[in-house]
Amino acid sequence: MRRHEVVVVGAGLAGQRAALAAVEAGRDVAVVSKLHPLRSHSGAAQGGINAAVGAEDSVDTHIYDTVKGSDYLGDQDAIEFFCREAGPTVVEMEHFGTIFSRSPDGSLARRPFGGAGFPRTIYAADRTGLALLQAIWERLGTESSRFTLYQEWDLTRVVVRDGAVQGIVAFDRATGAFEGIAAPSVVLATGPSGRIYARTTNAHSCTGDGVAAAYEAGALLKDMEFVQFHPTALPDSGILITEGARGEGGILKNSLGERFMARYAPHVLDLASRDVVSRAIATEVAEGRGFPGGFAHLELMHLGREKIESRLQEICDFSRHFAGIDPVTEPIPVYPAQHYMMGGIGTNATGATSVRGLFAAGEAACVSIHGANRLGGNSLLETLVFGKQAGIAAAEHAARSSTRPEIAAADVDASQGPIRAMMARKDGEDPAALRAEMQATMERYVGIYRTEADLLEGIRRVRALRQRYENVRIVDRSSVYNLNLTDALEVGHMLELAEVIVVGAYARTESRGAHSRTDYPKRDDAHWMKHTLARRSDRGPELSYSPVAYTRWEPKERVY
Amino acid sequence: MKIAYYPGCVAQESGRELDMATRWVAKALGIELVSFPSFSCCGSGFVDEANLTLNVAINARNLAIAERAGLDLLTICSTCQGMLTLANRKLDEPSVRARVDPALAKIGVSYRGSVKVKHLLEVLTHDIGLDAIRAKVRRPLRGMKVGAFYGCHLLRPSAELASESGEEPHAFEDLLAAIGADPVMYRGRVMCCGFPILFVKPETANRIAGRQIADAKDHGAHAMATPCPLCHISLDSFQNKAEAAVGRELAMPVFHLPQLVGLALGASPEELGLPRHLVPVDPALAAIGRPASSVPSR
Amino acid sequence: MAAKTISAPIEVYRYDPSRDRAPRYDRFTLEVEPHTPVLTALLSIRNQQDPSLTLRYSCRSAICGSCAMQINSKSRLACQTPIGPEIERHGRLVVEPMRNQAVLRDLVVDQSSFWQNYRKIEPYLKLDPRQPMPEGTPNPMTPAEVDRFHETPRCIACAACYSACPAVESDPAFPGPMALAKLYRFVVDPRDRATQDRLVRIQTEGLWLCLRCHLCTEACPKDVQPSERIRDLKELAIAAQGGTERGSRHAIGFKENIRERGLLQEMKLVRQTDGLAGLAGQLGQGLRIWRKKPETTKRPPAIEDLAQVETLYRELDDPTEGHR
Repeated sequence: MRRHEVVVVGAGLAGQRAALAAVEAGRDVAVVSKLHPLRSHSGAAQGGINAAVGAEDSVDTHIYDTVKGSDYLGDQDAIEFFCREAGPTVVEMEHFGTIFSRSPDGSLARRPFGGAGFPRTIYAADRTGLALLQAIWERLGTESSRFTLYQEWDLTRVVVRDGAVQGIVAFDRATGAFEGIAAPSVVLATGPSGRIYARTTNAHSCTGDGVAAAYEAGALLKDMEFVQFHPTALPDSGILITEGARGEGGILKNSLGERFMARYAPHVLDLASRDVVSRAIATEVAEGRGFPGGFAHLELMHLGREKIESRLQEICDFSRHFAGIDPVTEPIPVYPAQHYMMGGIGTNATGATSVRGLFAAGEAACVSIHGANRLGGNSLLETLVFGKQAGIAAAEHAARSSTRPEIAAADVDASQGPIRAMMARKDGEDPAALRAEMQATMERYVGIYRTEADLLEGIRRVRALRQRYENVRIVDRSSVYNLNLTDALEVGHMLELAEVIVVGAYARTESRGAHSRTDYPKRDDAHWMKHTLARRSDRGPELSYSPVAYTRWEPKERVY
Repeated sequence: MKIAYYPGCVAQESGRELDMATRWVAKALGIELVSFPSFSCCGSGFVDEANLTLNVAINARNLAIAERAGLDLLTICSTCQGMLTLANRKLDEPSVRARVDPALAKIGVSYRGSVKVKHLLEVLTHDIGLDAIRAKVRRPLRGMKVGAFYGCHLLRPSAELASESGEEPHAFEDLLAAIGADPVMYRGRVMCCGFPILFVKPETANRIAGRQIADAKDHGAHAMATPCPLCHISLDSFQNKAEAAVGRELAMPVFHLPQLVGLALGASPEELGLPRHLVPVDPALAAIGRPASSVPSR
Repeated sequence: MAAKTISAPIEVYRYDPSRDRAPRYDRFTLEVEPHTPVLTALLSIRNQQDPSLTLRYSCRSAICGSCAMQINSKSRLACQTPIGPEIERHGRLVVEPMRNQAVLRDLVVDQSSFWQNYRKIEPYLKLDPRQPMPEGTPNPMTPAEVDRFHETPRCIACAACYSACPAVESDPAFPGPMALAKLYRFVVDPRDRATQDRLVRIQTEGLWLCLRCHLCTEACPKDVQPSERIRDLKELAIAAQGGTERGSRHAIGFKENIRERGLLQEMKLVRQTDGLAGLAGQLGQGLRIWRKKPETTKRPPAIEDLAQVETLYRELDDPTEGHR
């Protein structure tokens, strides 16, 4: 058994920021990640990071925009903290070495983003996530003697005894060994779980491992039914075309050549918040005004070659490589794709979860600042602001902790035993087939628009898949880089979360933010201004609800 | 055709056999080579490491000499080809122009950018054409398996410099086939010969050369051929060192491109300077049934 | 967007050192559209034919750097390489692990040397306590200063360049194209306070082993152009320190050759690069070459109009540079 004071699982922006904070607090830190840190999905974030640093802008406006964007489901105390931290966080990342795009006067360049009152999104061309990820990794690297990197290790469980975290069990892909890593504090920063859906902008690695492990360990998940669909992804592959493309002036058109956003968001048009734009595109296509194959067009041509190729360099490449489209001369075909989970492991603003010693940050967590819909540019900021808070809190908890955490052989066996059984099966379910069916189910029954009938069918199908998962089989017998084993683990994690999403969506009989029930088209503040909490039980998720924190902003109807 | 002849330094010094062979082949194919004694060295991929702008200016001057004569420019060295093409491209950048043009003005030179820089390989395969060459072949190199070795700067950076596709070049092999030889395909043909660090870290340079020669040999080549005299230094003049570096005997004859063309068009080994090679070429000549006796061995 | 499908035969390198005595190639056939990326095909093999096929992949959009491999002998990102043109050009599609890194299994290689080289160039801002960063505000940086990075911020550390590099293949002292491009990124960063130290250090830590073969630039999926940035580093290193190493002496010596004669002077250059002691070491080889090529030792005559070249030097070459 290995032993550290703080174990951080996930090495994207949130995990690395947490690790840095814990290292700076003097703790012995382990960073466990299934990818090399520079390969984390944070690096795929394109558009930017929000901070109200412009003279005309204000922190209050950022708070207001975020509250409104959340459709009043975000906790306003947390949002206030979050927006106040934005400026210092961006400055810190600049000081760490991030190469941001600049204005002629030498200040950080900013671009407009959806749902924001001012151009507030600071960016590094259209690879802001990569720029930040490089900077934090290079900064953390200066502390390399003070943390241990477990690279290409897969998390299998969080061990909790007597209500307190004992550490984790993980396996090393290179050797196939399952090991316990004991620590009084565990920070889960495992990022997204978008691969639950068939069409997603998320990387293949985004399988919600940490969220599922927390859930299995008894932690409460929050607001899982709120799934953001990004309006502009390439229809075939789901590859993201940044909101920055519209921030720079890109416009959406239907097959009649209409700038259809005028009907859905007469004031801000293409820069309405993401849920609004996604529904607009889905509606246009559903009502027969899409292009053959079912998509809308995103036009950039009028911006000119120079602007497109300098500020939108990566998406230029993406369009050319992955869609065979040159955005300088032709429109990009786009359709919404799953993009972000507003929900996650429930935490407070320090990253603490409902389990003692367990912390979470980034997309794996739900504080909640995004409520029912996240604004573009707020997720990179979230990873850094709350990654740091979780790291600080985890370090403090570890320093205070007087008990000596233990991972028993039985704990490791509890992970390894089922794997052995999966490998021993002569016959059984193929993880890839289960995954494909799950993805199709979620896409079809728990998508942009939802109805009671669909959700009921979704619940039935997901439960059937979970049943079949009991008989899953790993055919690859090698102990070295056994990805078939990883597949099986990941599908198990995703099926847990899929059930929570669909059950939560079924229960919530209103439309709010990204959760859009055609049978309950209105927001229902009287009954539903509350967070969904899910606790795992043998019968499925047990739902309860908790109030939303208010400070200054009364709910109003959301119009863009 | 008539073209400004840019032999480069090495072909005027240790690689004189390349110049001899080029002149012989040009004459045989009716290419009029116009010499300009005021051409300077291209910088060879070294001068730009000390001062890129200066290097561009030096080559702008070379290009201007050809431009004034209304001629395109023929190179017989992959590196010359690369450096002169690089200058042509750099001169498209306004910031480079802004520094280079005033310096050129001081010597009464201006360069509009009209000169095409063509390596002999391109002239033979495109301007003269393989059919015309085939028609003139008197003694086809039937039976000689030849590994073409391109030299980096003829191919890369492909987006900018290459007259040949850096991806999967074939002009050299096409030419070899046209003169009756049997081109050998091997990974090393588009790799580096090691020359650029021959004077920095010889043992590494020799190992790199040795790898490529060994690769050609393992693919059955009787000989290698190169369009670059710097590669020739690495592959021929230092082959004994390459053998030591990779720990095996190679004994690989290495021809300059026009030498093989010359052989096929009927030149004698002496006219092509073959006796000047460090590694004897007789085994390769024997493969095509030429008397080895005409070439003195070492 | 449906295109005609083609039947693509794919040969994949397979090797599990824990179980196989030797590598082999497995052949799969897939119906794909010509623009289908190689990665998509490999994943469909994993999902439908052989779940034991092992490779690294994640984002499938050329930003995570996981899926570099050799595709028809070129180091590329599988997610960004369409199948159709490969089959068209080569008549086949052969997928192999990257070079210059040991195979762990199938297409997965051991990247530890790649990461160590990256770490070795100290890839982080080095500060000077006497020049603290502005408190609470970002450092100013002009767009022109951002332009100096060229495309180096686009690097995704995929190691395609490392796999393609013949210097890496032949000399462990060479840190590789990515590490040097990364070093360049810090050297030109106006916030970094260690520019001079970095340039001095790299002169003895592999900078001059770059061959300028541009195979890295060809391999790079993000247009970082490592070979161009390494060239820039060399020029900056000479400006910072002069000809302290054989590589920098060679470049400076070459430059001086042309100033004096307009042409290379082979023997003189060898002497300038190697020094007299080094020359003695090369004597045997020199003699061998001289026997066949006696003009090697002769000084070539100066070109005509050498004065023009001299003027260009006066205008564009700072004679104090390199001698600081």
